[in-house]
Amino acid sequence: MIKLAIKDLKLFFKDRRSMLLTFAIPIALITLFAFAFGGAGRSNGDTKISLLVSDLDHTATSKEVIKQFDSLKSLQIKTLPLEDAEKAIKKGSESCVLVIHKGFTDSLKSGAALPLELKYDEAKGMEVGLLQQSLIPTLSMLPFSLGNSKEAMGNKLAKMTGTSNPQVRQTIQTQSNNLFDAISKGISENGSKKKNNPTKSFMGGDIKMTKLVKATNDNQLGLIQAVAGTAVMMLLFSVVGIGMGLLDEKQEGTLKRLLYSPMDPLNILFGKMISANIISIFQLLIMFLFASVVFGLDIISHLPGLLITILATAFACSAFGVLLASFAKNRQQVQGLSTLIILVMSAIGGSMIPLFIMPAIMQKAAVISVNYWSIQGFYDVFWRNLSIFNPTFISRILVLFLIGIILNSLAIVMFRKNILKLT
Amino acid sequence: MIEVKNLKKTYDGREALKGISLAIKDGEFYGLLGPNGAGKTTTISILSSILTADSGEVIIGNYNLEADPKSVKKIIGVVPQEIALYNELSAYQNLMFWGGLYQVPVTELSKRTTELLKLFGLEDRKNDKVKNYSGGMKRRINIASALLHQPKVLFMDEPTVGIDPQSRNLIFEVIEKLHENGMTIVYTTHYMEEAERFCNRIGIIDNGQIIAEGTLDELKSANAVKETIAITFSNLEESNLKEIASFWNDIKQIENTVHFYSSNVKADLSKLVLQCPQLGLEIINIEILKTNLETIFLTLTGKQLRD
Repeated sequence: MIKLAIKDLKLFFKDRRSMLLTFAIPIALITLFAFAFGGAGRSNGDTKISLLVSDLDHTATSKEVIKQFDSLKSLQIKTLPLEDAEKAIKKGSESCVLVIHKGFTDSLKSGAALPLELKYDEAKGMEVGLLQQSLIPTLSMLPFSLGNSKEAMGNKLAKMTGTSNPQVRQTIQTQSNNLFDAISKGISENGSKKKNNPTKSFMGGDIKMTKLVKATNDNQLGLIQAVAGTAVMMLLFSVVGIGMGLLDEKQEGTLKRLLYSPMDPLNILFGKMISANIISIFQLLIMFLFASVVFGLDIISHLPGLLITILATAFACSAFGVLLASFAKNRQQVQGLSTLIILVMSAIGGSMIPLFIMPAIMQKAAVISVNYWSIQGFYDVFWRNLSIFNPTFISRILVLFLIGIILNSLAIVMFRKNILKLT
Repeated sequence: MIEVKNLKKTYDGREALKGISLAIKDGEFYGLLGPNGAGKTTTISILSSILTADSGEVIIGNYNLEADPKSVKKIIGVVPQEIALYNELSAYQNLMFWGGLYQVPVTELSKRTTELLKLFGLEDRKNDKVKNYSGGMKRRINIASALLHQPKVLFMDEPTVGIDPQSRNLIFEVIEKLHENGMTIVYTTHYMEEAERFCNRIGIIDNGQIIAEGTLDELKSANAVKETIAITFSNLEESNLKEIASFWNDIKQIENTVHFYSSNVKADLSKLVLQCPQLGLEIINIEILKTNLETIFLTLTGKQLRD
């Protein structure tokens, strides 16, 4: 068994194509995704992001504001007392709370800065960033949509000029009214979701940002997503390549020759599993090492968790590769099948897009993919900073090992049925 | 050494083996001949325990194959028809790997590997990747890979297909040496000269059955195979062939030469030498072609061996 594994490793490291698929392509993709995610995500109109709101103003206007937020397609509003909201954020189940402070309605009417505050978890910077993108246009429209009169705007402009001359103030008011109408018209015609909304800077679109929970990992969410997501997806591709070695052995006659020897035929499969595991572990280690050296991902202080997650991921993914090769009847079948399955698993499992910006149904479906459990494991280690004894982390690792055991068991059955019969 | 009783195997409703029985003595060189699809490879696959027979019994070296396949596998070596090697590994690495599967201690295995590389004339290329070898060199390593555990019985399934004369001669020498050292060899081939050269006994298999078995002489006499008198004429015409056919039924024309098939060459030769000139034909060459396996096979099966 060990001899078979050593032989497979030798063959693997001599195969340039495998090396390219295992190391070079994933590194290129990680680089690409890291830059992409590093620049923050973009709002998806069909995806609802959860936003907690605490209304301390308790007025009809503040309630109307909440109603307006709730009408946004991109937001899922939950109204909670501030204390409860803060608890949820600290617990990690929510990313931020929008606090509507007392005096909000008065400020809105007088044209003063709105007493709005976004208290957030720094570790969830990407999600908060997406929320801001969704909130700003609505906030910018508030002076126009919620009883802020033309007069208030004129007053504010006059105040800004510092004049007390009634004639000048009248002129400013007239101009202000014209400007108010023009802006209102422009907003209604062009929609309210433009990024560079002209009203934002002077009509109270800014929100006070307060870190409620400080990130423990220098906010490397984008990087973790890029590395973990890409590494798992590419690992699946490369383990399929390793698994396909079984079919190559059959085609080239070496499988038959192995069967001539006195060893148990299942050892051929076990040897393949061992080599696939070793290569998988090695590949993941290289990926994270690369992310550490080039992008500064802190792997040293998360080493135990990282290694455990790598072991569990390698076990589950290599079992997937070996199963696919045992299941298929020829190389072409494996290639077609694997590409489809891997891309689907990667898409729903969070390898390509972070899960939290996916629709709820997709987030639920994600649990059927190896990618999901693995990426969540890496999130636990690097982002949520969970200990290796944390039940949540342990449960994810156990699921990965369970997946590996089930897939390996199926591979044994299929190996007996397909591969051995085809010799 | 090998005893096979009433071996049967059916694939998808087709009977590949219809009850084969064989008895091969210790140290014997046994040739198994037959056209493609006759059942040679199926027989070898069952004897080497990678295929299960539907019925029948196989005893190799006192071990019952069905009851103790592992012990059988330890004493047999198989040279497969295809070159079954890892192309990315060197000859030395390949041999060490294949020998390692038989639990040969590493130092002993390394010694045997070096000896076999020397025997097959590949010592100076031992570290080259197999993919860079010629077909003949690969064939040599293919055979060497089956010898590292020093098997008592060697199954060789067409081991010299598509190789250069130099490699063929070298392989022949090695095979003869193995036989001289007492190894029992079961050999399948399409090459009649190989079977004639090596085999103590030959079994002819067709449609999943052994249709004849014995030494070459036994096969000849048992099947009354005719010999050939080949006469070349300087002035052979189409009309002459009709005249020849009137007094000799069993003929075949190959350009200016006519093959006369005969059961009694001495008597028939004088007859032909007298009769042909009477037809106005000028004889420029006469050759007696001895009966070989090809003709025996043709007589027995009605097929060329390569059909």
